[in-house]
Amino acid sequence: MTGRVIVITSGKGGVGKTTTSANIGTALAKDGYKVVLIDTDLGLRNLDLLLGLENRIVYTIVDVIEERCKLKQALVKDKKNPNLSLLAAAQTRDKTAVNAEQLKEICDTLKEENDFVLVDCPAGIEQGFQNAVAGASEAIVVTTPEMSAIRDADRIIGLLEAKEEIKSYKLLLNRVRPSLIKSNEMMSVDDVVEILSCPLVGIIPEDTGIITSTNKGEPIVNDENALAGKAYRNVAQRILGEEVPFLDLDEPKGFMAKIKNAFAKLKAKV
Amino acid sequence: MGILTDIYNTVAKFFRPQEEDASKSVATNRLKLVLMQDRTNLTPKILEQMRSELIDLLSRYVEMDKELLELNFEQEGDQVALMLSIPVIRAKDEEEIEEALKQRVAECEEESSEQDNSENNAEADTEDNANNEIKSENDSEQSQLVSAPEGMSSTKQEDCIKDECHSEN
Repeated sequence: MTGRVIVITSGKGGVGKTTTSANIGTALAKDGYKVVLIDTDLGLRNLDLLLGLENRIVYTIVDVIEERCKLKQALVKDKKNPNLSLLAAAQTRDKTAVNAEQLKEICDTLKEENDFVLVDCPAGIEQGFQNAVAGASEAIVVTTPEMSAIRDADRIIGLLEAKEEIKSYKLLLNRVRPSLIKSNEMMSVDDVVEILSCPLVGIIPEDTGIITSTNKGEPIVNDENALAGKAYRNVAQRILGEEVPFLDLDEPKGFMAKIKNAFAKLKAKV
Repeated sequence: MGILTDIYNTVAKFFRPQEEDASKSVATNRLKLVLMQDRTNLTPKILEQMRSELIDLLSRYVEMDKELLELNFEQEGDQVALMLSIPVIRAKDEEEIEEALKQRVAECEEESSEQDNSENNAEADTEDNANNEIKSENDSEQSQLVSAPEGMSSTKQEDCIKDECHSEN
């Protein structure tokens, strides 16, 4: 078996790379695929927290590279889903503890026995980014509809384009707030896609549920009712090659609006 | 209540400021410009220089409102287009154009003879001079634009022509 290695990157920090990695990984594992998540943010590891695995980590990626343990020993299985495992970053070391070649080797080994290897990239465009990208052939660029995040995403897209190993990259627009878009206070999905001219893989609405799910160490895809969870499950489906329509985020909620909407749909049909 | 808010929203739409005023379009426009600069490595300084040289060139042929001249980048898909919008006051007649061209040729010749004299200098030296000229040109530009709304400002044209002569030689 040769799995797909996808790097999840953004340039800017705090736009939701780690949340995205945890959720896409969990969603793919729930669908029965074997998934490994690699946290490459050495010194600032967080993926273990989002998955609720922080107390189970014995060995890290640096232990594997410095041969204190075997790769298999360092993989931590998820509490709920045995298909999902995590290779944690070292918290006490910095980005120079690993180089691109070593990370590529780990990715190459892991993809032999897994369907998906998802690499959670650190913020920035320095060595941490170069390391994370080294073993990947696909990329998901996470951004929010804010100027600074979009500018950084544009930079990252430029760097990804220059890498021969990266065969495809797609945009994931995170923390979208339909009410702000409606009042013209936030760039719309179309605006961002037009500016970055990059295909979309997902639109994730801002959801307070993300905070509580992080508190509990349980990805929001496990919550059947959360909108953001649904959006992430759709992303996983798109990664698997299915055509899933994007969620209609600004569906009106009032009673009158619903009737109006129904009429509009009827009209469209006629 | 639903009906009332619907009516309110519909009515309010007529009085609300248009989309251009919303912060979203401010962000989009700022972002587009800054990304063009990032992608092409064109600094604001170079853009300003480009703008002023274009003004010099075009004002040989038309009289225009230099204050309102706009130089922008637009993106359509992968293609980037340079958009120049010039409010033309009137086209110059043939005589005026010819005169401007003659003036340019004369200045070119003048320049080239000057250049012959200074040809002994090291090449790097002249390059340095050119850079300095560009700087000083930018500094004095604003005032020139304001003080000379009609015709060409001669000093600026010299600068510009100097560059042209350079390439012609």
